[in-house]
Amino acid sequence: MSQTYTLQYFAVLREQARCREEQVTTTATTPDELYAEVRARHGFTLEANFLRVAVNDEFADWNVPLRDGDHIVFIPPVAGG
Amino acid sequence: MSSSSIATPGAETSPDAGGAFSFRVSEDPIDVPAEQATLGDPGAGGYVAFEGWVRETNEGRRVVRLAYEAYPMLANREGRRIIEEARQRFGLKSASCIHRTGLLEIGGLAVWVGVSAAHRGEAFAACRYIIDEVKHRVPVWKQEFYEDGDSGWVNCERCAAAAGPSHGNATSTAANASHGHTHAHSHGHAHDHAHDHDHDHGHGHGHAQPAAVTDAPVPSRLPDYARQMALPEVGAAGQAKLGAAKVLVIGCGGLGVPVATYLAGAGIGSLTLVDPDVLEATNLHRQIAYAAADCGQAKVLLLAARLRALNPSIGLHTHAEAADAALLDALVPRHDVVVDCTDRLSVKFAVNDAAVRHGIPAVLASVHQYEGQVQVVRPGGSCLRCVWPQAPRDGVVGNCAEAGVLGPVPGLVGTWQAFEVLRLLLGLEAPREGVLTVDLLAGQTRFLRAPRAADCPEHALKHSVAPGAPLELPSLAEGLARGLCVVDVRDATEAAANPLPVAHHHLPMATLLKDLKQLPATENGWLFVCVRGIRSRSVAEACREAGHAAAYSLSGGAPH
Repeated sequence: MSQTYTLQYFAVLREQARCREEQVTTTATTPDELYAEVRARHGFTLEANFLRVAVNDEFADWNVPLRDGDHIVFIPPVAGG
Repeated sequence: MSSSSIATPGAETSPDAGGAFSFRVSEDPIDVPAEQATLGDPGAGGYVAFEGWVRETNEGRRVVRLAYEAYPMLANREGRRIIEEARQRFGLKSASCIHRTGLLEIGGLAVWVGVSAAHRGEAFAACRYIIDEVKHRVPVWKQEFYEDGDSGWVNCERCAAAAGPSHGNATSTAANASHGHTHAHSHGHAHDHAHDHDHDHGHGHGHAQPAAVTDAPVPSRLPDYARQMALPEVGAAGQAKLGAAKVLVIGCGGLGVPVATYLAGAGIGSLTLVDPDVLEATNLHRQIAYAAADCGQAKVLLLAARLRALNPSIGLHTHAEAADAALLDALVPRHDVVVDCTDRLSVKFAVNDAAVRHGIPAVLASVHQYEGQVQVVRPGGSCLRCVWPQAPRDGVVGNCAEAGVLGPVPGLVGTWQAFEVLRLLLGLEAPREGVLTVDLLAGQTRFLRAPRAADCPEHALKHSVAPGAPLELPSLAEGLARGLCVVDVRDATEAAANPLPVAHHHLPMATLLKDLKQLPATENGWLFVCVRGIRSRSVAEACREAGHAAAYSLSGGAPH
C-alpha cells in the first residue's frame, strides 16, 4: 500500500535534486527505503550514513516506520563559514 | 588594522635626515654596542638610550617568561613614523629603536631606543618620546607565561590612552601632558601595565591618528549600552553579566565577523579570536569588517583592531593559529562560551568535543550556498555528535570556496550565533535542543529537534579522558588496568599465528576503518593491537580524529 510523504532537501541534496521540496507517493515505509528510492532517482552522491533524517521536525532513526502524510527532511552537515 | 592604510603626511623617514633613523622588530637579540655605533654623528653632543627589560611580575602575577608577536609590516611602518616624528620634533642627529619578538626570559632586553642630538635636553626628551609612543602605538602583542602555568596575551600598551583617566592607573607623567593626551600607564619600564590581560582596554586609533603629532586630544568615548539595558531581560544586572563574560570565537571569517562584532558592541568583557588565516580578496564580499587594503595581513589582528575601535573597553586576545585539540583544551575552559565560526567540519567537531569535555556551552554554525545551520550545545544537552554520529571527512560536504555563497548568508547566520551567545550569557529563554536550519532562498527557517543521543560517543567517553593523553601504551597490562577494551586489528591469519593472551575483540583494520560504528561498546575506551604497533597506531589516530579520545595503540605490537 502506498503512502504519500512531503520531502524536504537541504544543501547538496537540494542542489542535486534541483528542488527543495517534493511530494512522493511510494511503497517505502522507512526513511532508509525512501532515501534509497530518491537517491536513485536524483543521483544523490551522499550515502545515507553521512546524512540525518528528521521526521516531522525531529531527528529520527533510519528504520522508523513512516506514516502517510509525514514530513521528512534529509539533511547533510554543512561546513561553510 | 583597517586604519593603517591612512597615510600620515611626512611620516616616512627622509633620506636627507643626516644620521641613522631606523625602527625594526627583530627576532634576534639586540646587539647594543653595534646599534649604538650606528648613531655616531659629528654634530651630536650627546647620546641617550633606554632599555626595556622583562620584569618578573605583572599585576601581582609572577611571570616566568614572555613572548612577543608582531605583525612586522605594520609594526615597522608605525615604528618608522614614530622615529620620524621624533626627528622632526626634536631635531635629532640620529634615532633608532628595536623591539624584540619571540620568547624572552626574565631580565631579557625587550626593547632598545637610542638617540643622538646636539644637546642633552633634546636627546632625553626624544628618547622618552620614542619609547612612550612605541609602547603606545606599535602593534606588538605580548604573551605572558605565568608561574601557575597559565598564559595571556596582552596588547602592548597602545590601549590605555584611549580609555583615559577612567580606566587607567594614576601614574600619568609630565611627558604625557607635554603632548596633549593622557597616557594611563606608567612609562618607566617597558613592561609596566595599567591592567591585567583580562582587562586589556584596546583602542585602534594609533595608526590613523598619531595623537602626539596632531596634539589633538584622544577621544575617550565608550559605548553606552542604554538601548540594550532598556530591555527588561537585560538591565544593569544583564549588562554586568555581559561585562564579566569571556567568549572564545574560533574563525574570523563570514560567521566570525558578525559574531565578534556584535559581541564587542554588546560589551562582552573579553573576546578571544582564533584564526590562522590572512585576509584574502575573496573574503571581502562577506567579511565586511575588513578593508581591501589589508589583504595579506592576519585576520585576528585586523579584526581585533576593528573591535578595539568599536569598543575600547573590552579585552581582546588573539591566536593566529589553527584551532586544534591542544589549543582548544587550553582555551575552552577559560571561557564562558565558545563559538565555532570555521569552515572545516573537523574543527567544528573538535570545538564540539572540547566544549562537551570541559562542560562549556558552544554555539556552532555553518553555511552552504543559501542555507545555514545553527546548533547550540549546552552542558549535558545534545551535541554535534548526537546529531552527526559519524563525522564526514572534510571535503565531503563542500565549503564556501567550493560551493559558493552570497555574503548575507553567513552574515545572517553569524548574527544568529551572536544572539545565541547573548541568550546564553543573559539566561534568556532557553534555546531548544537541535538544529536550526535557515534557507534564505526559500525565506524559511525550520527547527529540527535533536534530543541527546543515548549512544553518543562524545558523552560516553570524553569526560573520562585527560586532554592530550598519549596515544601509545607500553603493555597490555597497562590497558587492562585502565579498563580498556582490547581490539586486535590484525588480519585473521596474523591473529591466528600469535593469539593475544587476554580477552579481546577482533576487527581487522581495513574492516574497522570502513565504519567506526563497529567499535565495541566500552565504558573506558579501546586499546588497539597489531603486529608491530604501526597499524594499531593508525587506527587509534583515526578514532581520535573521529572524536573518540580514549583510543590507544599498543606500542610494539602483540607480545610474542
